[in-house]
Amino acid sequence: MDFEIYLVGLNYRTASVDIRERFALTEHCTRDSWMLHAEPDIRESVILSTCNRVEILATAKEDITNALLTRWAQTRGRGLNDLLPYVYVHKGLDAVKHLFTVASSLDSMVLGEPQILGQLKTAYRNAVQSNAAGAVLNRMLHKAFSVAKRVRTETAVASSAVSISYAAVELAKRIFGDMREQNAMLIGAGEMAELAATHLLQAGIKQLTVANRTLEKAQNLANQFQGRAIPFEDISEALVTTDIIISSTGSIDPIIRSRDIQKTLRQRKQRPMFFIDIAVPRDIDPDVNALDNVYLYDIDDLKEVVEENLASRRDEASRATRIVSEEVEVFSHWLKSLDIQPTIIDITRRSELIAEEELRRTLKKLGDVDEETREALENLTRSLTRKLNHDPIMFLKRGTMAQEGSASRISIARRMFNLDGRHPSRQLARNHAAHPQNSIHETPPAGCVFTSYPKEST
Amino acid sequence: MISFKSISFLILFCYSLAALLGIAGLILRAHQIKTISCILTALGFLAQTVSLIMGIHGTLTQGLSAGAYLQLIAWFLVLCSLGSWYKFRESTPILFASPLALILFCMSLPYLHSPIILSEKLTPSFYVLHMGALFLSLAILAVAFCTALLFLILEKRIKSKTRMEGFLNDMPALSILDKTNSIAVIVGFPLYTLGIVTGLLWARPVFGTAVSGDPKEVISLFVWGLFAFLFYVRLVKGWRGRKPALLLTGIFLLSVFSIIFVNALFVTHHAFVR
Repeated sequence: MDFEIYLVGLNYRTASVDIRERFALTEHCTRDSWMLHAEPDIRESVILSTCNRVEILATAKEDITNALLTRWAQTRGRGLNDLLPYVYVHKGLDAVKHLFTVASSLDSMVLGEPQILGQLKTAYRNAVQSNAAGAVLNRMLHKAFSVAKRVRTETAVASSAVSISYAAVELAKRIFGDMREQNAMLIGAGEMAELAATHLLQAGIKQLTVANRTLEKAQNLANQFQGRAIPFEDISEALVTTDIIISSTGSIDPIIRSRDIQKTLRQRKQRPMFFIDIAVPRDIDPDVNALDNVYLYDIDDLKEVVEENLASRRDEASRATRIVSEEVEVFSHWLKSLDIQPTIIDITRRSELIAEEELRRTLKKLGDVDEETREALENLTRSLTRKLNHDPIMFLKRGTMAQEGSASRISIARRMFNLDGRHPSRQLARNHAAHPQNSIHETPPAGCVFTSYPKEST
Repeated sequence: MISFKSISFLILFCYSLAALLGIAGLILRAHQIKTISCILTALGFLAQTVSLIMGIHGTLTQGLSAGAYLQLIAWFLVLCSLGSWYKFRESTPILFASPLALILFCMSLPYLHSPIILSEKLTPSFYVLHMGALFLSLAILAVAFCTALLFLILEKRIKSKTRMEGFLNDMPALSILDKTNSIAVIVGFPLYTLGIVTGLLWARPVFGTAVSGDPKEVISLFVWGLFAFLFYVRLVKGWRGRKPALLLTGIFLLSVFSIIFVNALFVTHHAFVR
């Protein structure tokens, strides 16, 4: 391999938010080949800059770590020493493993969160648009996306809700299934309640009602969620048609009591109700949960759900890490296979030249031959060439899997086929290039598999 | 020509593989495996339908053997689970029905060829109206029993704020399970009533009296009473959720007791052995 993969970066683990802000490269992600222009030694580069991490992935012949970091620091108007305490550097397969881990959201602050994959795709798209991504990073990023997909499919690392508001909506789905038929009500206001309302709307609920002691506030919030506002006093009446209730008022006493709900349940023919009480002190009498077809979760219950879900994600992360390791191994074979490509091309080219020459001789000896015979001979030569080359090529490819690597196999193959020494076939090619008029045919016959008919060399 | 052996083997193959894949799909939480299991169950059902239409084991035409009885229950059970899948797009009832159908089918094989010769006074419409209606309602009850059991487990976990684990995460929502139960009661009770009434009507010419105190009749009338109560509270009182699920579970278990123990051990007109 005549290049190395480098990854430099900082993230929420190594740098606080103000440091991350200081060294963010958000606008540089989209700038045309910023890093390539900055450092001529760099072959390819992809820049990922999110609120939780900044990472530069590059390939180069020489060690460009220092150059990358210096350029990065300078771009942000800082010195290298300002940046060094916060960065990590990965090279070769370590860099590959890190990228796969990031793509699979195993290195995210919220384990398994889905945003990072989208951000990585955007970073890659920007690199492609600015011609900064070449063969290696193209392959590596595509592999990272497929690894992330495999991790999501084969493990439950991203399956359960890890925010309180989303956990509430997930619970609502467990009770009601299809949310399109459900009505929800927001009692009071508050960031978490509004977030839960947003998730409910995204889940497709039929209608959102907002109740507040100040009707004007209720109206404003209702407008925000395209819902309807009702006075606080009308809550009992509205409960008859409401299935999901999110309460977060500042009231000291409970505003919904068990005996009120018993009456409401009769009116709504026992259709289930789900109460989400985010308020402290609680707005809803805990006894409500004892009623049939009524489910109540307060803030502590939801926190517990989130904690359990996070623990479950952490359990799954070890399985996901194994998948990442497997895929790094697969990718390393591909990287090694890059070493053998020139030798494979040389073997193929050499045998083609010999085959062309032998075909030319045979055709000359045969004199005038019909088109069918010529085609048959061409097919024969092509087939023989391909079949004879198959085993040596496989021998080389197996070397990429072998522990000792492919270098020794490449050396054997090059000597065996005399690819680096003087060879008649190469001479033939050179002759033909110098004197194309010496060819038997000015133009190759129709259906010919070879593009040149060099003059016989003596 | 399709032989009894070959079609039985095909049915067993389909139901066995469907049951295995269904369990694997539930444990591994793999949607594709579950889908394959449902397809195999449907294939097994088709094969069993062909087997029943052709009367391959030949017992239905001569009289009802214990084996044929079990096979019919298996067939109706899969039919109901397929109907439930069609209605709610939920594969869960099929995943539960295929192992049950397999067990019933396996149990039926040794008892297929000793049919009970029924009275000549019984017309073909007796088979359809009495046995057909009762078997179908029993199969509906079986599917409803599975969903009721699931409802009770899931509801308890949600109420007690216990974490859902493994395949429970992929189970249908409480509302869907409750709706399945509701439909099962609305469809199952009239069918059960039809079966009971026609049984009483045919009992008179065959046994000389409509109600003879036969253990099977007594227990069936008791089940009918419970079923009628469930039908009433579901439709009129608007019961939902845990209570009707518990009641339905009781009704089904009583029906199973009636089939397994009363038919097999008691002296009754419905005994498998005379």
